[in-house]
Amino acid sequence: MSEPTPATGSEVEIDLGEPGATRAPEDESPGDRVARFEADALQYLDQLYSAAMRMTRNPADAEDLVQEAFTKAFASFHQYRPGTNLKAWLYRILTNTYINSYRKKQRQPLQSAAEEIEDWQLARAESHTSTGLRSAEHEALDRLPDSDVKDALQALPEEFRMAVYYADVEGFAYKEIAEIMGTPIGTVMSRLHRGRRQLRAMLEDYARDRGLVAATSGDATEEVRS
Amino acid sequence: MSCGDPHDEECREVLDEVYSYLDREVTRMDVERIKHHLAECAPCLQQFDLEEALKSLVRRSCTEPAPETLRIRIMSQITTIRVQLDG
Repeated sequence: MSEPTPATGSEVEIDLGEPGATRAPEDESPGDRVARFEADALQYLDQLYSAAMRMTRNPADAEDLVQEAFTKAFASFHQYRPGTNLKAWLYRILTNTYINSYRKKQRQPLQSAAEEIEDWQLARAESHTSTGLRSAEHEALDRLPDSDVKDALQALPEEFRMAVYYADVEGFAYKEIAEIMGTPIGTVMSRLHRGRRQLRAMLEDYARDRGLVAATSGDATEEVRS
Repeated sequence: MSCGDPHDEECREVLDEVYSYLDREVTRMDVERIKHHLAECAPCLQQFDLEEALKSLVRRSCTEPAPETLRIRIMSQITTIRVQLDG
């Protein structure tokens, strides 16, 4: 198995298929291709829009990004190998389009690789005695409005945010996330780990601010609710 | 709370796998091993439950439909490309 192409080049790498693999019929008319694209690819419009909202963090940019990604996907649709993972292919194009067109504009700092490794190792030394949240807080979390969860996600570094989104909302396998993000699987796991821990800490704060849980930490939250 | 056995090392190993387990990225054998541990270790079970709750919370909160005008914009642009292909 070959390493996924890093999603950072200036050229958009969008062909996830094997070299020489079967592709769309060569005699397909442009009209047929439009129909096939609308039926197969456009069904993921809402999902790609949700992802684009998490990337760009505002509706106008999300719409432009999704339109650009679908346009690129259509222009390269002859390279897509029918029967392979179309959704992952589209997400890869969306990710590349975002990186090439939008992220430069937003100038978000990237996490350093060394920092990721260090944090990942710290996380591994964790045990359940160190957590601040306890069972009573499940209910508090469930009562948090969607907007709080979105705000907390927005506050995460981009790589963490998108890894969590792909795993939790789209249910992609680690291998698929690695292909979409153009990183090794170990990096995906590290991003998920850090992203979820930061998210949990933020949501815990939100729940306290809203008075959904007592403003305490540690053992006091283990009180019995009768 | 816990089964009372000194199994801190085992807890640590199981907690290391909490995300892989919830993301269905562990083998069937590991699933059985983790389930067995969770059945007898309340603190670990609580931790797994919490992480699972967070995962479903994110899923619940982050889906939003695209505006209908976006579909129209995309199809219109694609049709333009198609015309160029035709010509």
